[in-house]
Amino acid sequence: MPSKRTHGWRSRKVIAAAVVIAALVGSALAASAAQGRTHDSITLTVDVFGDFGYHDLYTQYMASHPGITIKEDTEDYAPHHTALAQHLATGAGADDIEAVEVGFIAQFASQPQNFVDLRQYGASALKSRYPAWKYNQAVAGNHAVIGLGTDVGSLGICYRTDLFKKAGLPTSPAALGKMWPTWQKFLTVGKQFQAKAPKGVKFIDSGSNLYNAIIAQANPAYYSPGGSVIAATNPKVLAAWNLTMQAVSSGQDLGLSAFSNDWNTGFKKGTFATVTCPAWMMGYIQGQAPATKGKWNIANVPGGGGSWGGSFLTVTKQSQHPAEAADLVKFLTSPASELYIFKHTGNLPSEVPVLKSKSVQTFRNPFFSNAPVGAIFANSALRLTPQVLGPHQGDFQTAASNAIQRVEQHKQSAAASWKQFLKDVQSSGA
Amino acid sequence: MATVASAIPKPRRRTAVARRFDSGGPLTYLFLTLVVVGSIFPLYWSLVVASHTNAAVYEYPPKLLPGANLFHNLHRLFNSGVVNVDFAKALVNSAIVASVVTASVVFFSALAGFAFAKLEFRGRKLLFVLVLATLIVPVQLGLIPLYIEMKHFGWLNNLKAVVAPNLVTAFGVFLMRQYIVGAVPNELIAAARVDGAKTWRVFWHVILPAVRPIAAVLGLLTFMTTWNDFLWPYIVLNARNPTVQVAISDIATVAYVPDYSLILTACFVSILPLLAVFLLLGRQIIGGIMQGAIKG
Amino acid sequence: MEAKTTSGAVETSAPRRVTRRARLRRLDSKASPYLYITPFFVVFGIFGLFPLAYTAYVSLTNRNLLNPVANFIGLHNYALLIHDSYFWNAVENTLGIWFLSTVPQLVLALVIAHVLNTKVRVRTFFRMAILLPQVTSLVAVALIFTQMFGHDYGFVNWLLGLVGIHHVYWEAGRLSSWIALSVMVTWRWTGYNALIYLAAMQSIPDELYEAAAVDGARRWRQFIHVTVPMLRPTIIFTTIISTIGGLQLFTEPYLFQPRTSGGTGGSARQYQTIVMYLYEKFLGSSQFKFGYAAAIAWCLVLLIAVFGFINYFVVSRIRSAEI
Repeated sequence: MPSKRTHGWRSRKVIAAAVVIAALVGSALAASAAQGRTHDSITLTVDVFGDFGYHDLYTQYMASHPGITIKEDTEDYAPHHTALAQHLATGAGADDIEAVEVGFIAQFASQPQNFVDLRQYGASALKSRYPAWKYNQAVAGNHAVIGLGTDVGSLGICYRTDLFKKAGLPTSPAALGKMWPTWQKFLTVGKQFQAKAPKGVKFIDSGSNLYNAIIAQANPAYYSPGGSVIAATNPKVLAAWNLTMQAVSSGQDLGLSAFSNDWNTGFKKGTFATVTCPAWMMGYIQGQAPATKGKWNIANVPGGGGSWGGSFLTVTKQSQHPAEAADLVKFLTSPASELYIFKHTGNLPSEVPVLKSKSVQTFRNPFFSNAPVGAIFANSALRLTPQVLGPHQGDFQTAASNAIQRVEQHKQSAAASWKQFLKDVQSSGA
Repeated sequence: MATVASAIPKPRRRTAVARRFDSGGPLTYLFLTLVVVGSIFPLYWSLVVASHTNAAVYEYPPKLLPGANLFHNLHRLFNSGVVNVDFAKALVNSAIVASVVTASVVFFSALAGFAFAKLEFRGRKLLFVLVLATLIVPVQLGLIPLYIEMKHFGWLNNLKAVVAPNLVTAFGVFLMRQYIVGAVPNELIAAARVDGAKTWRVFWHVILPAVRPIAAVLGLLTFMTTWNDFLWPYIVLNARNPTVQVAISDIATVAYVPDYSLILTACFVSILPLLAVFLLLGRQIIGGIMQGAIKG
Repeated sequence: MEAKTTSGAVETSAPRRVTRRARLRRLDSKASPYLYITPFFVVFGIFGLFPLAYTAYVSLTNRNLLNPVANFIGLHNYALLIHDSYFWNAVENTLGIWFLSTVPQLVLALVIAHVLNTKVRVRTFFRMAILLPQVTSLVAVALIFTQMFGHDYGFVNWLLGLVGIHHVYWEAGRLSSWIALSVMVTWRWTGYNALIYLAAMQSIPDELYEAAAVDGARRWRQFIHVTVPMLRPTIIFTTIISTIGGLQLFTEPYLFQPRTSGGTGGSARQYQTIVMYLYEKFLGSSQFKFGYAAAIAWCLVLLIAVFGFINYFVVSRIRSAEI
């Protein structure tokens, strides 16, 4: 029969029960409190990933628009887009304004019914502000404009001046820009580098980065302007692949994947001499390898222009206040806002007048040997005539990266890997 | 009880309640030390990273000693100007959710486990297999339909959505049932019944005391898994009403790249409540003096 | 001696008054079991059944995640799956990693539990320490293990270099990635299982050990002949749970990938598990193939059911305790 010990046990059960009740009551109260809303004000929710630099702009906007409160949510890059897809699929949970990166914009644009068509709120009038390619990336098949551009990645070549010197190469951006107007010439410079490079140092960090830079300039690339998949037959895709394979087989490629541990350590240890460099990479290098200050410089990218990254702001159909949200989007993406963000956060503006403005063109970065980074990146963005994006862009990109890695990791020959890449493209595109 | 001393070849000092073996030799301690070092090291290293700056994460050779940045990072963590998430609120939310779920799971699992283990009823075997079958379904796909349900209940962004689906788990029922089958002798129950106890009294006075160790383990494990749960809270709660794992994922201060020193500071802070629960329930796991309930 | 579980009426001496009490008692013993298991089935019925049925239905359509309109295509997804070499690759990976990780994990857990069941000093500290891997956040786990098994700067390669083995490319190889992941999984879950065994060991009466000691059995034989048989239900439990968890493995390999991997589990899908493949089709790529992913999930259910049964029959051959 019950021993005396059960009393202690019992009282624990009582406490547990009390916890349960208290918690249920507490959460019920909290939930009901959250539903209370001040009568006149509208709250707009903005969902971004990382830091878009909007904090001061929110303050400005709220000051000039009494009655509007802005709340920002932020997540890590990949979960942000995953959560957005899930919230769109279930019809609830998306914020009023959602940031979408260029890697995902095409697949969201393929289902435009989830977003407000910003043409209703005057987006068409803003078209001329943007480079055509940037504006068009957020235009759906039915011509709806689902987003306005926030920033562009642009592209340069960031290189280590000290390593170049050791290998007997010139170190000024002007000289280098002249030496590599095309990617083929870029690889020739690479061969020169490898001949006298310090032991263990390679010219290029990652075959995938090289490939992505080349394919980003191809027009058309994976998709025809009409929207059909032409990866298998487009000679430009094959050319990009062959150039990359050349880099791998000639021993210039270290074979890392971007954002991997070895890649990050590589910045600190100087195991690669060049990296394809969007504007946001500057901050990344500074954060990863602060001790290398002054050893970097930036030259123009071969092939004329480039872009890696860049985002858009969209208004979801789930928003209760689409008009106000659209207005906020227009404010956040206005030239004045983009210039402000450039000065304080470093994200490169996406609008032509801003890119051409004096503030941007004369901007220099002391970490990178005082290179005129503003001019370099702005002009690269302006010169770009990039590929048309399609809904399965991301998958093709992944398939290509994997294909290149398989060769770099000696798992497949270049020919076999290319065959598998084409098979993957076909099955993803289905 | 047989006398112990005579038949044993090597004389050993044994206490009267010779329940456990003697403390082990040096090899045992070496083994345990290795196990503990292996278990603790990643946690220790995350403390190291949390106390440095972000650049230190990928240093080679890696940093092994804590730096001076911990308080600075802690300050940033709870400063809403730097981080878009109310981390303190996330801690409280997680505490509420984990406590409620744990209490509920332990209690209802013991109840159902008792029924499956010691009570006879029609369909017992089939129903138990059904319980097991529910363990098989992978969580990821079920997120979408579950979310739709929550939308209909009006529980989006509400802690109820995170608590309700977990109030009883098949794992808990299974664990309790296995334990009760082995650990509660039928004689005890029979004795209780002879004394006129109805089923509820049997449960309350015989089963509950007997399952104390496993209940503590179940409580601990449930609290931990609830605390660590990420996938479901991430989609059904938003950053304004997060649990702690959701909050950790929301701490990103650079465009494409996370600030690991800040994130690991958050991780470190988030396990402190868990350690408190450990200490609370830890002693229960080694039931200690169980002689009252089980007599041969 | 095994007594039968008693249920049903108990006779008392006054026949008239027995009737009502006997009826109540019968009601109690008939109804209580069903009442006690009801909470579980209610919760499952509301929150488990609908998702199950929904997923089953979706697997018969070609539903895209972002588009609520879809066509019914019957078993077409399943037919595609049978011919999908990436699916079978994932099955192979999953089984390989499962085998490499489950067996050492459970054996190690048993040994640790046995050791911690003794009068080792500072027991409580050790017992809590083994749970730390469960408590360490996944972010930290990912960082540390990718670091440890890194190619050029990894800790494991540094150790191996000391004995002459150079530069294993853990993430790139098939078996090597399986081994790395098994280490990760074993590290994370051994303490969990050890604790369950330890709690179960508390219910083994001392008399059994003493009787065995009287018969001349030393520590190891007592372990084999007393502890393991008495723990049979618990060992069955952990085996089934580990099998289910192992076949559903997702988090560890997902975190092991380089950040830009796109969910494929390595450049040649060398460590992509079934759930990773499901996730890739469902959310990780731009395909958003909800229907196809649902079919993968149900195939996994089938696989787990089969394996669960096999496991059960293997483990239940441990001789039951002879009391």
